[in-house]
Amino acid sequence: MVVSHDITLPTEEELTVQEVNVSSSVLRSAAFHLGKYCEFANDEFMLCRTENNGDPRKCLKEGKEVTRCSLEFFQKMKKVCRQQFESYAECVDKSSCNFQFKPCRKSQGVYDQCMLDNMGLERPHWGYFSKAKIHDTKRPKPPPPEIQVYPDATPALPDDYPRHPNKYGGYYAHQ
Amino acid sequence: MATAARKQDGPPPGGYKPLDFSRVPARSVIGAKSLIAGYLAMSGAAFYLYFQNYKKIHRDDVEVRSSMMAITPLLMAEHDREYLKQLRRNRDEEAKLMANVKGWETGKYKGEPIFKTLPPDTLVKPIPLEYFAHGTMDNYQDWDNILLWQ
Repeated sequence: MVVSHDITLPTEEELTVQEVNVSSSVLRSAAFHLGKYCEFANDEFMLCRTENNGDPRKCLKEGKEVTRCSLEFFQKMKKVCRQQFESYAECVDKSSCNFQFKPCRKSQGVYDQCMLDNMGLERPHWGYFSKAKIHDTKRPKPPPPEIQVYPDATPALPDDYPRHPNKYGGYYAHQ
Repeated sequence: MATAARKQDGPPPGGYKPLDFSRVPARSVIGAKSLIAGYLAMSGAAFYLYFQNYKKIHRDDVEVRSSMMAITPLLMAEHDREYLKQLRRNRDEEAKLMANVKGWETGKYKGEPIFKTLPPDTLVKPIPLEYFAHGTMDNYQDWDNILLWQ
């Protein structure tokens, strides 16, 4: 494998946190409220991932925050809206083969009302998470990659070296 | 014995009727103008209904896509942690397996790093067959088939 011992990998303990052990239908049904509840953590993590060119080691702290926030959301929701959510998730699970929301508008309305009343979370617009967003963060941007300097590079001409226009014109029409 | 009188078959008295060459147009139900107008009206109504339906389907598609994007960070965070755990397991496994081979360095080719020009401590993700090198073929095929089904 290309990963040698010179490359730092986090240890097993650093990577072990309590994960969100729920199935796809639950995640899909809770997606809108979950995304709204953990919006800052999610945006922070995705921005970190993009800024570090997809290096998973650099964004572990942000990723743990995402998981912690999601876990907190599910624990809170379980206390207040468990029954409404379970009927909605079951509907999403069993009404279609690919977790469509369309057949489940009635139970969705009940669930949304419960979330609004008890957790103050409103269901975002249906295209909310497909929109481009501006994320404001305190985390400093990682520095750009260093420009490599080679000691044996060919020396360039000085900037004030006399330059003449081409005698017979250039390759392109505008020259 | 009397023979029956024979009669020559010929034209009727007064000759045949003249042939009718006159044009017989088809019975017209609807005229050209109303036909075109009807076509346009029906197409217009159909396009209107199609557009209404298109908007509805597009809305549902975007909603499903939005829900996927909302849970992507959660899935990706968990995936990252599990991936790094597995990389460490693979590295330890290779070190253990090749412990008795003289001159073998884990993750290097004859003591030289695979990627020379990269800055130090750059994680290059191994190709899938290397990633699954210490697992069974079933593990690899599970992953591979799921990737192809997507």
